[in-house]
Amino acid sequence: MALFISKRLLMALATVLVVAVLAFLLVHAMPGSPGAVSLGAGASQEAIDEVNQRLGWNDPLLVQFFGWLGGAVQGDLGISLIDGRSVSADLANRLPVTASLAAGATGLSAALGIVLGVTAAVRGGIVDRIVGGICGLAVALPSFWIGIIFVYLFAVQSSVFPATGYVPFEVSPQDWAMSLALPVITLAVGGAAFIARQTRASMLEALQQEHIRTLRATATPAWKILYVHALRYASLPIVAGIALQFIGLFGGSVIAEQLFAMPGLGQAVQNSVSTHDAPSVQGVVVIATVVVVAVNLVLELATKFLDPKLRAS
Amino acid sequence: MIPSVAPAPLQRKNALARFSAHRLFASPGGVAGVIWLAAIVAASLTAQWWLPYKTEDQDFTAVLSGPTAAHWLGTDELGRDLLSRIFAAAAGTLGTSLITVIVGVGLGTVLAMLAAAAGERVEAVISRVTEIMMSLPGTVIILAVIGAVGTNIPLIMAILGVLISAGIYRVMLGQAKSLQSQLYVDAAKVDGVSTPGISLRHILPGLTNTIVVQSALIFAVGMLIQAGLAFIGFGPPIPQPSWGGMIQGASQHVYDAPWLMVPTGAVLALTVLAANAIGNALGKTPNATSSHLPSAAARRRRASVVAAVGAAPVAAAGTHDAAAKGQLSVRGLCIGVDGGTPLVTDVSFDVEQGTVLGLVGESGCGKTMTALSLLGLLPSGVSVTGGQILWNGKNLAAATERDMEGIRGRDIALISQEPMRALDPMFTVGYQLTAAIRRLRKTGKAEARNEALSLLEKVGIVDAERILKTYPHQISGGMAQRVAIALALSGRPRLLVADEPTTALDVTVQAEILSLLRSLVKDTGMSVVMVTHDLGVVADICDNVAVMYAGQVVESGRTANILDNPRHPYTLALLAADPHANSAADMPERLATISGQVPQPKDWPAGCRFAARCQFAGSACATPVPLLASGSEEGLVRCVKADELAVEGLEWLATEVPTHRVLKIVEKDLA
Repeated sequence: MALFISKRLLMALATVLVVAVLAFLLVHAMPGSPGAVSLGAGASQEAIDEVNQRLGWNDPLLVQFFGWLGGAVQGDLGISLIDGRSVSADLANRLPVTASLAAGATGLSAALGIVLGVTAAVRGGIVDRIVGGICGLAVALPSFWIGIIFVYLFAVQSSVFPATGYVPFEVSPQDWAMSLALPVITLAVGGAAFIARQTRASMLEALQQEHIRTLRATATPAWKILYVHALRYASLPIVAGIALQFIGLFGGSVIAEQLFAMPGLGQAVQNSVSTHDAPSVQGVVVIATVVVVAVNLVLELATKFLDPKLRAS
Repeated sequence: MIPSVAPAPLQRKNALARFSAHRLFASPGGVAGVIWLAAIVAASLTAQWWLPYKTEDQDFTAVLSGPTAAHWLGTDELGRDLLSRIFAAAAGTLGTSLITVIVGVGLGTVLAMLAAAAGERVEAVISRVTEIMMSLPGTVIILAVIGAVGTNIPLIMAILGVLISAGIYRVMLGQAKSLQSQLYVDAAKVDGVSTPGISLRHILPGLTNTIVVQSALIFAVGMLIQAGLAFIGFGPPIPQPSWGGMIQGASQHVYDAPWLMVPTGAVLALTVLAANAIGNALGKTPNATSSHLPSAAARRRRASVVAAVGAAPVAAAGTHDAAAKGQLSVRGLCIGVDGGTPLVTDVSFDVEQGTVLGLVGESGCGKTMTALSLLGLLPSGVSVTGGQILWNGKNLAAATERDMEGIRGRDIALISQEPMRALDPMFTVGYQLTAAIRRLRKTGKAEARNEALSLLEKVGIVDAERILKTYPHQISGGMAQRVAIALALSGRPRLLVADEPTTALDVTVQAEILSLLRSLVKDTGMSVVMVTHDLGVVADICDNVAVMYAGQVVESGRTANILDNPRHPYTLALLAADPHANSAADMPERLATISGQVPQPKDWPAGCRFAARCQFAGSACATPVPLLASGSEEGLVRCVKADELAVEGLEWLATEVPTHRVLKIVEKDLA
């Protein structure tokens, strides 16, 4: 087990390192030198050169990379070219926004998706077809379109929820929940459909297993077969689906953040890409990768824990 | 000897193509998807000839208008015609999404074929790389790429394809590997076909369907991501319309002109739906619902069938004495696929307390269906369509699911063919056993554990304490079958239905399990219905035998009588074909075979169902054959020639004799 964990940790570290190199190279391919970006149009060439010199832009790439990496390991991701603030501090403020959004949407997707998927698999017939139809529609509708409709319904027509903005948890837990409601529901529509499909397929597969017949032959009540045995058997792919959903939402929350004006990581990457703010882009890519890789690691451990065959070996 | 392989892949390909096409057009969703996509493509390619307006034409008399005669789908904030803009944007959206499909599916497929062909080391490297690619935050990376290369949509969609190819590789790899291990691929290798040649000629055709399915699904993903990027401002340069950009524009007017959202959103959603529908129609695995726990809908259907069976009088009363004799009396049992093919017809037998009945026959004769019907555990879509299953006078064929829950485990228990698959892999032996004991014997936790230990010891497990803590995959097949038997005994059943309980086990273990069953029958006085194709098992343990062929009992009686003095040609043939049934002394030089196969239920003839394979068949065999007393005590046989065969003392011939010759000989002999 210790060997397994250390191997996986090494793999995760390698992934983050690969992405760090990739991000570094991408950022260097961005148009405009740091000086030009930071001073804006109309700055003199001397001033630009001076800033570039100060930021080490003219150093060999390897020196620059290891300089950045050295800082990153200590939690320093450099300084924004646009407003001169610490990238780490900015992202530290933004991380909770995206994390609440992704976690909330994943939680809601999982709860809704499992209920719908199990219902479809268990009831069959017309219920199955209706759930299937709804899920098909939900994955085909773009999340931003759904989001705007929700804004129209719940914020314009009836002001149940605020249309935009984010209130930190520390300020007011209640307002925090209210400000998250619409974006979370928006993201959960597609997510729930995805998990419902996964759950339905896994449940149907579980119910085809021969041990279900043994359970029936020993007079196990139907509810117990469904919700203890079949769901347990189906839990591995469902958990994998939920983790995949979280990964997708963590990176993909950029649209919801734009739509609902949430100051999260997605908004940061969108802004910094638009303004060619290299250190910020680099920082977000690395932070997002670290989170995603960490979730993958947790998923793998969870799978190992859930599957008796893997747990024993 | 190398089999000739050339025609095989060709045939496969054609068959596959036909099958895929058939499946696509068999699904209404698939048909609708194809029609919509074709319409969109045609409309967007011909857009310049029929569009009512140029994309930048502004109509200030109709700003933010709803659908009108002049503007069918309305206009945006600058008075631009939505219909024209949607279809002007279509070609670009569809075309660039196609780039993602070609790069993603193409690269994924090539990588999978490479990994499958080039051996483990290459596969390990590719798999590791794709693993890393899959654990990347895709959207963030794409945005960083946009930062570097700008909004060059084709290039971005190509890079998206590269990121997606890792997932495609995952889907394809298993299939490519299984194709690579096919015999005809080995043969091609021996023939000296190069590795790329094999991949192209033998592997790629086999992957076609998956490629098409994945392409359709990725096409949809590509459109959604592209629209999302345009929505957040990374779409095509400004004057050029894009679906995502148009929805972004519409979102600014959700307060004053909500209609603006509808046309673009609907076209985008319908196009994504169409691609998904095509993918799902092609990717649907046929016949995927053989659930062991019928869905609520299936149970309602079943309830109505059961009610009908309960109301119907016992058919087949004329076949023979219909009075119930044993503890279990099956009378005229018919089982069929719902709304169609019969699988078992007019099966009758009795099982007295403490006796073992063998149900014997080849695969596909309806033995297992008959056995499962005793517990009301027929698979979904199959049900009892007539007759009675009398258990101590109660008709189980017409019992409700609730009634059956009271019977299962407590009165009638089941052990099945593959013990490993019969036990729940997710729970320990101890959990499964104690849960059953607590439920069936209404005992407390501690008591159930003690009962579990003593049951395990009763079925011959020495270290019961340890076995309780193990998971099914940690024990051997023989041990698992002992556990399964202990599980079946947990409700102290009076009848045990054993569906080929030794078939999947090693020969030495088979004998142990049989002797365990024999001693259990002796000790507990329970009866057993033993499904088997092995006449050795019958001779070993069964008191009575019912030989089944094509859904009918063709001969039944006491085991000794049947084995020593078989009356039905099928029984004769089974005995002649069984290596164990012939003792060493009179072992023939060559074992007999039964030519042909058990007919499918839909091909059952009106007359004797065995006639087509019978060495003794004659013209009299074309009419329906009743089950009649065979002369020996209690024995029944379903053959018009049974008496003649007995008188002549004919044997099933070991050599293959053309049936027509046999017929002539027999007719002559009888003349």
